[in-house]
Amino acid sequence: MSVLRTRLLPPVLAIAFAILLCSIALVISGANPFAAMGAMAGQLFEGTTAVDTINSATVYYLVGLAVAIGFQMNLFNIGVEGQYRFAAIVAAIVGGALNLPPVLHAFVIIVVAALAGAAYATIPAVLKVTRGVHEVISTIMLNSIAGGLVAYLVSVDQFGVQQGNSVSTEPIPASGQIPGISFGAAGTIFGFVVIAGLLGFGYWFLLTRTRFGFELRASGLSPTAAAAGGVSAKKMTVITLLVSGAVAGLVAMPELLGRDYAYGINSTTGYGFTGIAVALLGRNHPAGIAFGALLWAWLDKSAVSLDNIGIPKEITTIMQGTIVLSVVVAYEIVRRAELAAEQRRVGRALATEPASVREGGTL
Amino acid sequence: MSESTPDGVQDTPAAVVLSGITKRFPGVVANDDVNLTVREGEVHAVCGENGAGKSTLMKILYGMQPPDEGTIEVAGERVQFRGPQDAIRAGIGMVHQHFMLADNLTVRENVLLGAESLHGIGSAARKRIAELAESSGLRVNPDIPLERLGVADRQRVEIVKVLYRGARIVILDEPTAVLVPQEVDDLFETVRRMQAQGYTFIFISHKLDEVREIADSVTVLRRGTTVGTADPKRISSRELAELMVGSQLPNPETRESTVTSTAVLRLSGLSLAADDGSERRVLDDISFTVHAGEVLGIAGVEGNGQTELVETIMGLRKASAGRIELSGADGELVDLGHANTRQRREAGIGYIPEDRSRYGLLLTESLWTNRILGQQSRPPIAKGQLIDREAARSSAVEIVEDYDVRTPNVDVAAASLSGGNQQKFIVGRELSGNPALLVAAHPTRGVDVGAQALIWEQLRAARRQGLAVLLVSADLDELIGLSDSIRVMLRGRLVSEADPSTVTPSELGEAMTGVSEIHDAVEPAAGAATENDTDDAADTGEAADTATDEHAADDDTQGGKR
Amino acid sequence: MRRSRGAFASRLAAISFVGVLALAGCAKDTGDGGDNASGGGQGQPCELADPPAAPQGSESNTEENDGGDVDASDLKVGLAFDVGGRGDASFNDAAAAGVDRAEEELGVADSKETTAAATESEDAKMSRLRQMATDGFNPVIAVGFAYAESVKKVAPQFPDTQFAIVDESLDGDNVTSLVFAEEQGSFLAGVAAAYKSENCHVGFVGGVNTPLIQKFEAGFIQGAKAAAPDIEIERDYLTPAGDLSGFNDPNKGNVKAAGQLNSGADVLFHAAGASGKGVFQAAKSKDALAIGVDSDQYKDKTLADTKDVIMTSMIKEVDVAVFDFIKAMAADDLDSLPERFDLAVNGVGYSTSGGKVDDITEQLDGYKQAIIEGDIKVSDKPE
Repeated sequence: MSVLRTRLLPPVLAIAFAILLCSIALVISGANPFAAMGAMAGQLFEGTTAVDTINSATVYYLVGLAVAIGFQMNLFNIGVEGQYRFAAIVAAIVGGALNLPPVLHAFVIIVVAALAGAAYATIPAVLKVTRGVHEVISTIMLNSIAGGLVAYLVSVDQFGVQQGNSVSTEPIPASGQIPGISFGAAGTIFGFVVIAGLLGFGYWFLLTRTRFGFELRASGLSPTAAAAGGVSAKKMTVITLLVSGAVAGLVAMPELLGRDYAYGINSTTGYGFTGIAVALLGRNHPAGIAFGALLWAWLDKSAVSLDNIGIPKEITTIMQGTIVLSVVVAYEIVRRAELAAEQRRVGRALATEPASVREGGTL
Repeated sequence: MSESTPDGVQDTPAAVVLSGITKRFPGVVANDDVNLTVREGEVHAVCGENGAGKSTLMKILYGMQPPDEGTIEVAGERVQFRGPQDAIRAGIGMVHQHFMLADNLTVRENVLLGAESLHGIGSAARKRIAELAESSGLRVNPDIPLERLGVADRQRVEIVKVLYRGARIVILDEPTAVLVPQEVDDLFETVRRMQAQGYTFIFISHKLDEVREIADSVTVLRRGTTVGTADPKRISSRELAELMVGSQLPNPETRESTVTSTAVLRLSGLSLAADDGSERRVLDDISFTVHAGEVLGIAGVEGNGQTELVETIMGLRKASAGRIELSGADGELVDLGHANTRQRREAGIGYIPEDRSRYGLLLTESLWTNRILGQQSRPPIAKGQLIDREAARSSAVEIVEDYDVRTPNVDVAAASLSGGNQQKFIVGRELSGNPALLVAAHPTRGVDVGAQALIWEQLRAARRQGLAVLLVSADLDELIGLSDSIRVMLRGRLVSEADPSTVTPSELGEAMTGVSEIHDAVEPAAGAATENDTDDAADTGEAADTATDEHAADDDTQGGKR
Repeated sequence: MRRSRGAFASRLAAISFVGVLALAGCAKDTGDGGDNASGGGQGQPCELADPPAAPQGSESNTEENDGGDVDASDLKVGLAFDVGGRGDASFNDAAAAGVDRAEEELGVADSKETTAAATESEDAKMSRLRQMATDGFNPVIAVGFAYAESVKKVAPQFPDTQFAIVDESLDGDNVTSLVFAEEQGSFLAGVAAAYKSENCHVGFVGGVNTPLIQKFEAGFIQGAKAAAPDIEIERDYLTPAGDLSGFNDPNKGNVKAAGQLNSGADVLFHAAGASGKGVFQAAKSKDALAIGVDSDQYKDKTLADTKDVIMTSMIKEVDVAVFDFIKAMAADDLDSLPERFDLAVNGVGYSTSGGKVDDITEQLDGYKQAIIEGDIKVSDKPE
């Protein structure tokens, strides 16, 4: 009961606070907050927006997971951005070049993407354990390098095909595509949503049921205690970054295999940074990340809807920022309050026993 | 419970009267109707287990925290302190357990810092410091940097500091925790001399022998409230302890040797180079063998390599030379040189780290999660690559029952338990892995008397069943009481050996400070031991570490790992 | 520590060295027409090739563009901007100007503008178009080739709505492509740059390294080389393909432009959207000249403080194209629109505001005529 309260109260408070703050901002800017909220809520019932929200959330979920895996060990993998873009271009090139039977083709592409993501994450991992380079620094730089690599690989001289003013890789044939779940006019939900769900389950299982998961969490909670408990920090750092990179490698797959079939210069960037916010929102919990991903996607879609009714779309950015900030603060407050409450409960539970002790003891 | 007032100081006026002090923190009542009367010119001890409320009470008296209820009278007048400055003005000074001194300033600068307005910083100040140094027994040149001083002298600098600020009532918070026996004697002599000069002392301690030795009266706190005030000369340490704990203590002394001839751990020529890349060796040619059923105690002033020894055995540090061998399944000794910490644990080493909150527990996790730590790779917790949560939970429940861990259930976070209960849980966990060897670093540091007795009893029981124990401790009573054999460590080397059945704490103390190595064995004069220590400290950087890091911590705070 | 200080010192030295060079350049500018004794190609104006003959009476033939008697009062125009939106001082603004003019002259009933975010997924673009189509806007104009995929997917879902896309050539019954011959306009910018360079050294700053911007680069280089075969040309892109921030990062523009100026270039042409502000600032601080892009940037109010350095702008008449499209739509005569807005239909060109190119209009118009008549073929790929 109290566990539920601890987990759910902070985000509810944070969202309420964010709505309040944004309403004030809206009133100041001369817009009607009720119209804004109405548009944001109303869009959920438009089929297309709902489908788009779920599709975006699928991507955000993957990227949130990738970041959260690092967070479990206090590794700040900002490099998810570079890892997923590198993996996407490699997977798109391989997928476009191969000719395999259905299912197998898609499977190979997904494996290639995961391997490419992990390979790109190997660089910061090795730098960290051998030279002590902080992963934030190395991955930020590697993000920039990944941008250059993608641009190079997608250029017409390498693997790119120019169509009009756009350049992208050779399209992946139908055998490598993952069919979506069609909702008619409302659009098609990425088939990858199933894989994302399975990954979420795998993440939960790994974390709570396996030795590796325990060692991962222990290293994050207290590196010293983990070391004393026989967990090798270096090994965990490498494995964690590789797993995070492998999941990051899948981030572009829903769009690549479910909608675009090619990776090009117009493909979306910046998911890696969204992932940080989503992982924070979800408190690294698989269900929490799903919630965070949906919320974030919905706010993203709101930007379009609000712009459409003439309300500054930046309000959604404000709301996203406020929510992340307030969720972090709210969880911390609740965490402390709960710890104090637990200490109190422990004290109370034990108070019955010492009552007799208090009387005892004579000179 | 009975209130007996010591005769000697009955008629002198009260220097400090605390009445009905109550202080609540979120979730805890730290002080509940505490009454304390300290008479002028006496040494008044305040005793209690950890968490009994001593620290809170002293913080209230020193103005660091306001009481929720109750009154403070100093020299017959009601006072209200808004901060330590007010308390100092009222003539109350406090010598903290962890010294509040700046290493890179001279002794004089340390004393003057923040009190420049009293006597300036010129000759008047110099003269006053000299007077106070005389009365407090501080015999060092006031112009040398503090970092060259040993712990005992640092403590005296702290005392001079509070006296300089005009204190007539001095609170000494666990002053002996950082001292070896000779230094304790010196301190007590100083206290008595100053007592004769009219100073009043409030002496916080839970070392009952010391309380009985120095105090004129003792007030015992238990679970936040005063149990009573007694004349320490009239009651035994045991009675005092029972007053603190509130129950009968188990009898600590029954010893029959269980030492076998089976070697479990053998160290030969173990050395460890310093982290800084210098030639200096933190561990130098350490060799010993621990047998099944044997407790080998390592004595030493903190910072002489004990921490590093333990961490090297556990594989947290890499030895630069020498061998570490552990008996394998067939009884043969197996070289652990290349084994990592996990492999060493799997080979049968249990580990009670000296700093339980940093090395022993995942504080924010539940007890049953903490049960997994260190044994995540072995049955019954591990099932292949999976964790058997039910096994962890039921094992945690067993530990809670067997080791009397006071907790409502095993789902509460480790952080919500008291230090003693945390430690009992760690001991239970490490012993539940059925180790062949237990490496126990300060296993009862910072735990209350009750938990201490239980932990000792469990260690003895395990020893009877053939466990080999390497015991590192700063508590000489513990070392002598538990060990079958004692080695003394000084500057990374094992310098002498002692038989616990004959050695006294004082002899051990001499060996720990290196005094006993002086060949013309003249009984050192008061202060000689500390000066000797100081000189040595100046010689080698390593011993300087010793001096700075000698926070034989007692409460929840513990010296960090270097 | 010592090492980094050393590196810093040497960098300082390098900076001050460059500073001296720049000062020398300034001194030369204020001298007697650059006729100094330093010799070599560097620091000398170009040796110019003979320009093609200018046409007689080169009056611009833009008469056809007024509103006439077309009535567009039953049109509701939806305008979907790319990153930057109205106020980017570049092609989004130009598209907006076209709609504004249509409202004024053709009486367009209603219009709505929405803007893309810097990093948004494809479906956000789609929903933007879809929402406008659903709300009854017709036509819906997508500004920028980033909308290509979205228009391709959304247009078939709304067969009764006319879509237009700027900068991309798409098929489809209800899709009108508004594309330009950027390389032709940029060719003239290259010619102008070669004529105005004191050092015979010019530079190109592209926003994002995409095929579209490469057209600008290609035309500029060909123009500069046609006018001065020995000319030195600096070329830089702010970001690689895929990173759209290059269109919206004046600081980066400033840094790259300053780099080109330091290496000797003294006339810079930018095709970098809002990042162009930074290029102009760099040119101003080094007393060099710059060429604007898309619209007549000399007249742009947001660039007023640097307009002195804007010698001309390569005009891409997005506003004209948008206006013509709306007009043709109102007149139900979409076939009248050119397939490509090039020099021949004045879809691209150069501006003369500020008077800095008044002395070379004859030469520029000569090249222009040669391109129109096909005597000069301009490739849209950099060599």
